[in-house]
Amino acid sequence: MNEKSVEHVVTAPPPEAAEADPAGADRNPVKMRTRGVNVHYAEKHALRDVSLDIGEREVTALIGPSGCGKSTFLRCLNRMNDTIDICRVTGRLELDGQDIYADSVDVVQLRASIGMVFQKPNPFPKSIFDNVAYGPRVHGLVADRADLEQLVEQSLRKAGLFDEVKDRFGDPGTSLSGGQQQRLCIARAIAVGPEVILMDEPCSSLDPIATARIEELIDELRQNYTIVIVTHSMQQAARVSQKTAFFHLGDLIEQGETPQIFTNPRDEKTQGYITGRFG
Amino acid sequence: MTDPADSVLIEGQKEKVRQGLSRRLRAERRFRAYGVVAIVLAILMLLFLAGTIAANGYSAFYQTWIKVDVFLDEELIAPDGKTDPQTLREEGDFRGALIESLVASYRVRGREKENRLIAMFSTDAERTLQRHAIANPRLVGKNISIWVKASSDIDQLTKGAIRRDLPESGRKVKDVQLVWYDRMAAENRIETRFNTGFFSTGDSREPEQAGIWGAIVGSFLTMLVTLILAFPVGLAAAVYLEEFAPKNRLTDLIEVNINNLAAVPSIVFGLLGLAVFLNFFELPRSAPLVGGMVLALMTLPTIIIAARASLLAVPPSVREAALGLGASRVQVVSHHVLPLAMPGILTGTIIGMARALGETAPLLMIGMVAFIVDIPGGPTDASTVMPVQIYLWADSPERGFVEKTSGAVIVLLAFLVVMNASAVYLRKKFERRW
Ligand SMILES: Nc1ncnc2c1ncn2[C@@H]1O[C@H](COP(=O)(O)OP(=O)(O)OP(=O)(O)O)[C@@H](O)[C@H]1O
Ligand SMILES: [Mg+2]
Repeated sequence: MNEKSVEHVVTAPPPEAAEADPAGADRNPVKMRTRGVNVHYAEKHALRDVSLDIGEREVTALIGPSGCGKSTFLRCLNRMNDTIDICRVTGRLELDGQDIYADSVDVVQLRASIGMVFQKPNPFPKSIFDNVAYGPRVHGLVADRADLEQLVEQSLRKAGLFDEVKDRFGDPGTSLSGGQQQRLCIARAIAVGPEVILMDEPCSSLDPIATARIEELIDELRQNYTIVIVTHSMQQAARVSQKTAFFHLGDLIEQGETPQIFTNPRDEKTQGYITGRFG
Repeated sequence: MTDPADSVLIEGQKEKVRQGLSRRLRAERRFRAYGVVAIVLAILMLLFLAGTIAANGYSAFYQTWIKVDVFLDEELIAPDGKTDPQTLREEGDFRGALIESLVASYRVRGREKENRLIAMFSTDAERTLQRHAIANPRLVGKNISIWVKASSDIDQLTKGAIRRDLPESGRKVKDVQLVWYDRMAAENRIETRFNTGFFSTGDSREPEQAGIWGAIVGSFLTMLVTLILAFPVGLAAAVYLEEFAPKNRLTDLIEVNINNLAAVPSIVFGLLGLAVFLNFFELPRSAPLVGGMVLALMTLPTIIIAARASLLAVPPSVREAALGLGASRVQVVSHHVLPLAMPGILTGTIIGMARALGETAPLLMIGMVAFIVDIPGGPTDASTVMPVQIYLWADSPERGFVEKTSGAVIVLLAFLVVMNASAVYLRKKFERRW
């Protein structure tokens, strides 16, 4: 596992062919598959029978009104819900066809292959370097300091942050601007060599310029990673995603190609939500 | 918006806000005044307390010495003619030599007057002579001039605590002693010096020889035992309860009981220590080991509560970030949560320890109130601690112990101030913003 991850990070993955061909998104193999997922917080039924396919190397956007269970669903995908005592997840969730809730699965390994970026930038109160280096160190991905430095630089480059911070690796991560912090968090997630990156409203605390920067980044990352993003901005979903899933009160109402969802939704709830947003 | 009725309404509201505003400002000013008065009162009380203690106690830090001319009479101090250290130590009658010389210089006649004269000197004086002779055996049989400690009464006279204008029957220093004292003073034989003995010896029945060092060492050993027991246990309990334990009835019950324990009067822990550690496990009495164990029990809830509060104050986003990267829960705690919570935990621990350092009641129960002269060499030796030493001295009738009591209070307060200051320093130093 570890060796595989190193390889994954250090050698650039093969160039993606799908990018040129918009319709090609359809043919992307399924990276994660969920079937009949139900989530309860104690008595509260937060998600009902969610069955969703997440295509490899494309961006899937989760949209829906507040409290509909987008974050809950996202947190099921890397088992972050395990840390909530009252949370109970049933149904089947697969990564590359493997049940991620199976007893044989180690959450530590799972989370190494499914990275997460949170709503509020949350760098560790450590230096920029240590922030990015933390994951590789924990998983023992690198043999020596030189490898580590190379990996950190590579991750920061991929997150589009390297040029801004190259002279100040020792500064605390918290001293960066909000948008830079969020890109640092993305670099931190990338450094572990994940295959999937989950983002929960990554731009909600950022200004439009920083947001545009992150959106560009997401578009670039799509070449190498499978991305699931929760967003409240219809425009953002339309701009960055290839697939969109609409949640409402714990139900997955509709899923499909992003252009189709936005121009020609099948369900009237979807229609209402989208048009309501656009005014 | 342009409706005239509307603008009248808005004008009326503005007026109301204006009226309310001055009332609010007055209330605010009044409230601030209360605060200032309270702080001034508190400062005055503190100054009064510190002032009285300092005024009473500063004289404990210096001491009266008297220069005497002594003939080191071989017949008394080296009866068989040998001046090796062992003979001098075991057979030399230095008190006799001192009396002989004093009687000669002051031409004293009669047993009673002789006693009065020698009573002006501390019993430590003869030991000073002995040490000097052992160090310089060739001085045996010669006249020497040497500084020795005065007795506590003379010390108090020098410091003005014994008043000359009282009738002779009402004071410890008699008229004849005053005459000798004045003569010594005229001959520049009286001197006050810094009282090093106060910081290097243990307790004594004689105020001028009593020191706080035994109690300091006892306190140190006790605190060491307390720290070694209470800190790891408290930290582990707090980390488990806050980070790993499921939230259920049982953990709720434990939590409530920890809070209750923090409020239990300390003497109850003393009784517990007496019943369990002394009577059941038969550990030694009066020992820092047992004192430390009792105080650890007392400090444990404080540490657990402080540690849990600091762990809780670590933002959950840090935990999520680490978990999301695939750190295990133990790694999350040890790499991120504990370092961030540490300043708070250390502060809580130091404050708990400071409370334990000033604690007397539970130690009385386990026999640490004994009169102990020797400096304890280890945690199982009988010893006393600073607050108990203060209690013992405060209980002694001699005038000389009054200043010792206050002096010891000053030392204890100094330790507490240092501990609390280090708590503040640690918090400032390791505090990180996130
Ligand atoms: N830790 C929790 N304990 C109990 N209930 C929770 C918890 N987290 C979420 N819920 C409930 O689950 C439902 C879905 O919450 P979730 O956070 O997934 O919504 P969301 O779609 O992400 O909303 P938003 O857009 O506001 O972030 C909500 O009704 C919420 O009250
Ligand atoms: Mg959410």
